[in-house]
Amino acid sequence: MVNFTVDQIRAIMDKKANIRNMSVIAHVDHGKSTLTDSLVSKAGIIASSRAGETRFTDTRKDEQERCITIKSTAISLFYELSENDTAFIKQGINGNGFLINLIDSPGHVDFSSEVTAALRVTDGALVVVDCVSGVCVQTETVLRQAIAERIKPVLMMNKMDRALLELQLEPERLYQTFQRIIESVNVIISTYGEEDGGPMGLIFIDPVVGTVGFGSGLHGWAFTLKQFAERFIAKYAAKGNTQLSSEERCKKVEAMMKKLWGDRFFDPETNKFTKTNAGSKNTQLSRTFVHLILDPIYKMFDAIMNFKKEEAATMLEKLEIKLDNEDKDKEGKPLLKAVMRRWLPAGEALLQMIAIHLPSPVTAQRYRCELLYEGPGDDEAAMGIKNCDSNAPLMMYISKMVPTTDKGRFYAFGRVFSGTVSTGLKVRIMGPNYTPGKKEDLYTKQIQRTILMMGRYTEPIEDVPCGNIVGLVGVDQYLIKTGTITTYEQAHNMRVMKFSVSPVVRVAVEAKNPADLPKLVEGLKRLAKSDPMVQCIIEESGEHIVAGAGELHLEICLKDLEEDHACIPLKKSDPVVSYRETVSEESSQMCLSKSPNKHNRLFMKARPFPDGLAEDIEKGDVTPRQELKARARYLVDKYEWDAGEARKIWCFGPDGTGPNLLVDVTKGVQYLNEIKDSVVAGFQWASKEGVLCEENMRAIRYDVHDVSLHTDAIHRGGGQIIPTARRVLYACQLTAEPRLMEPVYLVEIQCPEAVVGGIYGVLNRRRGHVFEECQVMGTPMFIVKAFLPVNESFGFTADLRSNTGGQAFPQCVFDHWQILPGDPKDPTTKPFLVVGEIRKRKGIKEGIPMLDNFLDKM
Amino acid sequence: MLYLVGLGLGDAKDITVKGLEVVKRCSRVYLEAYTSVLTAGKDALEEFYGRELILADRDLVELKAEEILKEADTSDVAFLVVGDPFGATTHSDLVLRAVHAGISYRVVHNASIMNAVGCCGLQLYSFGETVSIVFWADDWRPESFYDKIKKNRSMGLHSLCLLDIKVKEQSIENLMRGRKVYEPPRFMSVSQAAQQLLEIIQKRREEGEELGLSEDTVCVGVARVGAEDQVIRTATLRQLGSCDLGPPLHSLIVTGRLHPLEVDMLRLSAAPDALTHLEVGDSSTHTCPPTTLLDA
Repeated sequence: MVNFTVDQIRAIMDKKANIRNMSVIAHVDHGKSTLTDSLVSKAGIIASSRAGETRFTDTRKDEQERCITIKSTAISLFYELSENDTAFIKQGINGNGFLINLIDSPGHVDFSSEVTAALRVTDGALVVVDCVSGVCVQTETVLRQAIAERIKPVLMMNKMDRALLELQLEPERLYQTFQRIIESVNVIISTYGEEDGGPMGLIFIDPVVGTVGFGSGLHGWAFTLKQFAERFIAKYAAKGNTQLSSEERCKKVEAMMKKLWGDRFFDPETNKFTKTNAGSKNTQLSRTFVHLILDPIYKMFDAIMNFKKEEAATMLEKLEIKLDNEDKDKEGKPLLKAVMRRWLPAGEALLQMIAIHLPSPVTAQRYRCELLYEGPGDDEAAMGIKNCDSNAPLMMYISKMVPTTDKGRFYAFGRVFSGTVSTGLKVRIMGPNYTPGKKEDLYTKQIQRTILMMGRYTEPIEDVPCGNIVGLVGVDQYLIKTGTITTYEQAHNMRVMKFSVSPVVRVAVEAKNPADLPKLVEGLKRLAKSDPMVQCIIEESGEHIVAGAGELHLEICLKDLEEDHACIPLKKSDPVVSYRETVSEESSQMCLSKSPNKHNRLFMKARPFPDGLAEDIEKGDVTPRQELKARARYLVDKYEWDAGEARKIWCFGPDGTGPNLLVDVTKGVQYLNEIKDSVVAGFQWASKEGVLCEENMRAIRYDVHDVSLHTDAIHRGGGQIIPTARRVLYACQLTAEPRLMEPVYLVEIQCPEAVVGGIYGVLNRRRGHVFEECQVMGTPMFIVKAFLPVNESFGFTADLRSNTGGQAFPQCVFDHWQILPGDPKDPTTKPFLVVGEIRKRKGIKEGIPMLDNFLDKM
Repeated sequence: MLYLVGLGLGDAKDITVKGLEVVKRCSRVYLEAYTSVLTAGKDALEEFYGRELILADRDLVELKAEEILKEADTSDVAFLVVGDPFGATTHSDLVLRAVHAGISYRVVHNASIMNAVGCCGLQLYSFGETVSIVFWADDWRPESFYDKIKKNRSMGLHSLCLLDIKVKEQSIENLMRGRKVYEPPRFMSVSQAAQQLLEIIQKRREEGEELGLSEDTVCVGVARVGAEDQVIRTATLRQLGSCDLGPPLHSLIVTGRLHPLEVDMLRLSAAPDALTHLEVGDSSTHTCPPTTLLDA
């Protein structure tokens, strides 16, 4: 069945200019996996007739059952571009055989982290959009991520069969729909892209260039303007009876493509292209795209679906489509499928688009290096990545762990960016906490085996050069989720991935049989490895917490935990959300805490961030690693910080990166830098576990106003200062009108107009509110956008379905944190109740601690 | 009445007669056990005093002082401190609390390292600010003690360096988690202190700073002062960097301007060539100048 061997693949792996690493990304149910099948069928791994039904990349049983992709899956394809077509490629190539490493990723927002992991190891993305629903919320999220990672997109306008068969759109209306979708995609690209495209150059998609495909993944057909342009050129060339060289042909085709989109019209009377729709005999001309491309397709659909057998037969003859014997007897939809697949095979069109327009690793790594590598831009590792040099030191990023058939063991899946990885090679395995020069989170081990991953199958391979995607055996026990693998002693880490979602929904789990606890702990470890996003935490109280991006994500994780990882019956708590602690005013007084030996005194105050700063920190616009002056200038310009103070940020927290700041505003304190580390440690501690209910803090700025210290270093060590810093920070928080923040989803609901009323009812009951409602152009569908507190979202989907007769489909994405109105210290408010519940759940003393626990008198 | 009783430096028998009387009389006797350690153990003390002692660790003294002061207004409580109660470690906080609670207090003094250090032959009159040299951690390397020594030396004064001890300390992680898990006790030796100083000197030299002391500065290492097996070693800082003065507790003295009589005393404990770098300033002083930048 496999029509290429590992040896063949290995040979082309060295031709780096002919590699295309790409992900398929889209909104849920826009048909990624189905479309991927047609690519796989073209590359010959599964029989062509089953494409569109198999979901080859959905390897898990539940994925097949639910018809939803949960894990991203990689496959390698081999594609030979015809000699003529190589002229279209604007980057260096080496022969006409192409190795395409394709990753099919999930479309449901809850699994966005899988998309992030997929994007990291690829250079290009095939963005699939359902031309009926248009650009949806997840399309935007994934596209934004792709652009942030400097991934070049191409677009596939999918589900044309629905537009034709179900909606019966007029050709001109369909063209308008396409045009609108292309515009929305380009708007996203320009919003989130760098100025003038940055080092990637312009990456807008344009049918005229050939970066937009049209078709139906389910029926297995697709085309770009190139396919049609070629047909016309072939016709004319046949007339002229000259043999075109491939360069000349390419030029002609490209010129022709320009005539097939936009306000270009064709006058069949004169056989000429014009720029206005006024025909030579006062007729209304239709645009070329409609006349030359859509009309024949519409006619074919009409002839076959309405059983006009003779008309269909003539068309087939004209188009030189030869059907297989078994297909000849078919009628209606099956026949339509067979014909369209013959006429405009999807695999061919898409693989051409991929090979021609997506960048090779050689092209992409040059501009991606600065985003990928934390170290200096000119060390050996950076140069190896930039030049995609297989003789340079090895640099490989592990983006995720894939379970093996051997329970509890994982393949480490990732991309080789520099050098060559081989079986038995001794490498340095560096986790995300590794810092150059230290031994933390660093192991030096041998790679047991390198393997190629192809959907459901794996194939061992001796070695893999840079630019390729590969799986490693024997690395999993040294890495939690991700990491860098290198042979270069001075290598820094590859940058960690930034996820677009955060684990805000959590469930406590325990074993039904307490004797199974060790199995549960082992199972949680495996679960944490198998998913890029899920967090498995053991609380102080001994509770085991699983935190995920949403209800569906958690459901899948818990199922995996119960059935695959721990293999024991579990008790699960109701899902709860994580909150954040913040302040709403400046501290009402200067807060003082004394160290246990009373010789050291810290004076501090807290105040809330200006709006937007917390988001800037989370987005990475303001970061601890940023150059000091640039950061200060940003804070001064955007948030009107005092220029002096902006340069004296001691740290971010929690975890050194979070959205709270500790700022030194002292004047002339001696030995201050000797206690800085202790105060910072106290700050990390306090910002991780706020005073209200030990949730993370958010959007609080703490100012160190004054410090008086014992003259002798021994009396102001960490043991004295760290707990004191924490106490004074808590005092500051309590005196600054503390508030609780809850996570809020953006919900996008698609439904027919008739049930919009029902949606409002459900949302109102759950403290949600609608902020946008609009009709999808050209369809009877409505899109309602609303904000919904995550805490109210449990059971929301089911509730919505039952109130709308199953006609409304929501997609929830985490959007922002919002203050829960009310003083948590006032027993009549909701925050008071929430704080009480959290404290009870965590097993900490009831009631918010009193201020005098933390505040000392002069 | 709260009695603060100094125990002296050597063994159980170093307590004063007055102190012993107080100990025998009091209803509760606490032994402060975290700022210093007596060469003799708690058991030896109990045997010699003929009564039970309550061990007072940092937690008890700093966070639960009320417990110590309980009923001290009606009965007598003794608080035993190795050395002198107002010596190296001051227990001012305890005294202040007692006074605020209306409890009167009395102090029984004893020898402290602050005065016993005179044993090495340097005059107590010529000592400057006392400094502590703390254990360095990976990312916490304070250098303020070097600057203080430099300041003392610029005025011609000797510097007594008390060396870090860690008894019953929590690691930062355990501290954050509130776990009462303590690290094994550690005591800084003269050689460790000298090595840290040498590192600072090297670093400052690379930074091009004018040095306050150098590898050849005459220093005195003392160990277990007051005990039977006390050790005094006069040598250059470099030599002390590789010396072994035996079990704790250690202290280090960096000399300033030396009086001829002080030099004579130092010779008693000097290592070979230790004093060859001394420069005679005038008839009454000798100094050991820091090597200048040019030498390096």
